[in-house]
Amino acid sequence: MRLNKFSVFNIGNNDSHGSYFDSQLNKNIFLKVAKKCYLPTNNILLDLIRKYDGKFRISFSLTGTFVEFCEQYIPELIDSFKELFKTGAVDMIEETYYHSLSSLYDDMDEFEDQVKMHNQMIKRLFNYKPRVFRNTEAIFDNRIAKKVADMGYKGIITEGTEKILQWRSSNFLYKPINADLKVLLRNYTLSDDVGFRFSAKMWPGHPLTADKYANWMSQTQGDLINLFMDYETFGEHHWTETGIFEFLKHFPGEALKHKHLDFVTVREAIERYDTVGEIDVPWAISWADADRDVSTWLGNDMQIACFNELKNIGKQIKDKGDQDMLNTWRRLQTSDHLYYVSTKGLEDGDVHKYFSPYDGPYDGFINFMNILQDFKHKLY
Amino acid sequence: MKVAMIGWEYPPFKAGGLATHCYGLTRSLADKGVQVDFYMPKTKHRTSSDKNNLKIIEVGETDIFPYDRPDNKELAGQFFEAVYRYNDLVVSRVKGKYDVIHCHDWLTMKAGIKIKEKTKTPLVLSIHSTEYDRSGWIYPNQWFIDIEKEGMEKADRIIAVSHFTKKVCVEKYGINPDKISVVHNAVYPIPEGHKQEIVLFLGRLTIQKGAEFFLRAAQKVKDYEPDTKFVVAGIGDMLPKLITQALDLGISDKVIFTGRLSEEEVKHIYGISSVYVMPSVSEPFGITALEAISAGTPTIASKTAGFSEAFNNCLRVDFWDTDEMANKIISLIRYKPLHSTLSKEGKREIDLFTWDRVADRTIDVYNGVI
Repeated sequence: MRLNKFSVFNIGNNDSHGSYFDSQLNKNIFLKVAKKCYLPTNNILLDLIRKYDGKFRISFSLTGTFVEFCEQYIPELIDSFKELFKTGAVDMIEETYYHSLSSLYDDMDEFEDQVKMHNQMIKRLFNYKPRVFRNTEAIFDNRIAKKVADMGYKGIITEGTEKILQWRSSNFLYKPINADLKVLLRNYTLSDDVGFRFSAKMWPGHPLTADKYANWMSQTQGDLINLFMDYETFGEHHWTETGIFEFLKHFPGEALKHKHLDFVTVREAIERYDTVGEIDVPWAISWADADRDVSTWLGNDMQIACFNELKNIGKQIKDKGDQDMLNTWRRLQTSDHLYYVSTKGLEDGDVHKYFSPYDGPYDGFINFMNILQDFKHKLY
Repeated sequence: MKVAMIGWEYPPFKAGGLATHCYGLTRSLADKGVQVDFYMPKTKHRTSSDKNNLKIIEVGETDIFPYDRPDNKELAGQFFEAVYRYNDLVVSRVKGKYDVIHCHDWLTMKAGIKIKEKTKTPLVLSIHSTEYDRSGWIYPNQWFIDIEKEGMEKADRIIAVSHFTKKVCVEKYGINPDKISVVHNAVYPIPEGHKQEIVLFLGRLTIQKGAEFFLRAAQKVKDYEPDTKFVVAGIGDMLPKLITQALDLGISDKVIFTGRLSEEEVKHIYGISSVYVMPSVSEPFGITALEAISAGTPTIASKTAGFSEAFNNCLRVDFWDTDEMANKIISLIRYKPLHSTLSKEGKREIDLFTWDRVADRTIDVYNGVI
């Protein structure tokens, strides 16, 4: 989500906080990505599910912000997701309505509110109640696990990083040390082979074909392989010309050639398998960057300052009871705004640079902080 | 390897970044075993070297500075004459066998060419700025351009201080890009002082350096941050105009014009300033920005400044966009985490900009022509 240019001279002299968001640009980006990725990929997936008679199965995690954009700009995209869901081969995953870091606030009320909002949205669109939860960027720790279990979910998705597994494999289900919940761990090697490396010509695996990939999967030990990736992998991170759509079209058929491989949704996975061990995660992990922690969003003093500013006005916003302001506050919680302020160097920094609309993290900070100051000004 | 380097200024005598560059480069070359004879005009301050491989040779006297312009100096009529005279003097004084002749900027290019032709020694030319930069791209003087063009054409190899400058050499002087290597400058770090609410401009007060934009931004900051002081350090032909401008803008109580500062005073002011602004209209490299950043002073620089091609931890603006300049100055004053992160990360990145690296790259260039 992109913000308008907002200088210190704008602070306190404009009545409309709607002007924080560059709605024209957001619309354009969304339409562009929808055309390159969401629409064609949905069509391919629907064809594949029909072709293999429901043996190809997938799960979606859609934020409220994404659904709002769909409903505003391309309602037929929502219809397409509904059609996919109706096949019975598609599961919906719960998450926070906003792509926020609310799970990291001292007080978990806001997190719970955002999960409930998402829950109502999924009920409204699909008349369904998800059993599996995935937090923003797969952020996970013991505290979040406990909260999610208390809210009635049976499974949660996070990163299969050595940080929590040590020598153990990500291809099994685990149980958080302090909660009754099944943890699905992303197999980051196989997921990133498609998500990151598919079009990297320097990578020894290039070019990646569906049968090669299915072979790698068939040789993998364990109960299940969790492949989770950005939806934009298909057609946006990797353009049509890279052959990503051809790969996707051939992938289910190649995988199903191996007798011991089949597809399950996340809900079916936790129903089919039992946990094999416990994981203890006192410090938050995520699937972002090489660090696999929350330093992508909270790695420097500027990011922490913005995060605290946002977090600390929560109570006043809610007491005030102004629905518009509440909505604006929540949209400002979108983790992208902090992501753009990251100063991490080298390889990760390059990724940040690629996605950032700003001339570096410092400009990102100035713009976001100016907006937060203006927002506070309107609150008091 | 033995190099005759022909320069114009060398610390303690110093009018600009050229002296800083020659000092850092020659010392690091000497440390790497290259024998350097550095030729320069005789000045009031005696210059000497404490390194065996490095000899400073003073040649005659001159009243011209590398940044002088023939139309704004008392010696206007004699200007061209004086340049030719010094170049001839240099040619007669450079004796002995060298592997490379290395000249810096227009002032000694003619001498470089003559020595090259006389002794059949390869010529390397460093371009720190061109006439287009010094004139701020307004009415560049053809006399300088002709000298620069001839020098660039006859040099065996050119070292540009940035890709920005390389592009100027290619596009404005018609030089083959394959002949030009880019070597970014370096800096000897300056200690951080006790920070005060000072926003600093430091440089020659010429059209190129854009001090007028600094004053316009200062006026915009004044109402929002009334305790902030603005320091304009340096001298130049724009000084009287800038003083009048400060009065007209109603900020004369906030702006301090320091005049010429000594080396020690320069270090001190870098150290105690909170923000450094370099609003240059044209800036081939901008060594002062690296000096400020090394002293822990976050820097706002022109988008086109050469150093920022290779440097991440600074803020960039269009030199004419004084609203954005003021936005960034105020943000740096108000938002402590912004200031501390830029200061910390900037100092870390500065460690990559060493004279040792510049000397290595320069030796690579020498080896390519010997």
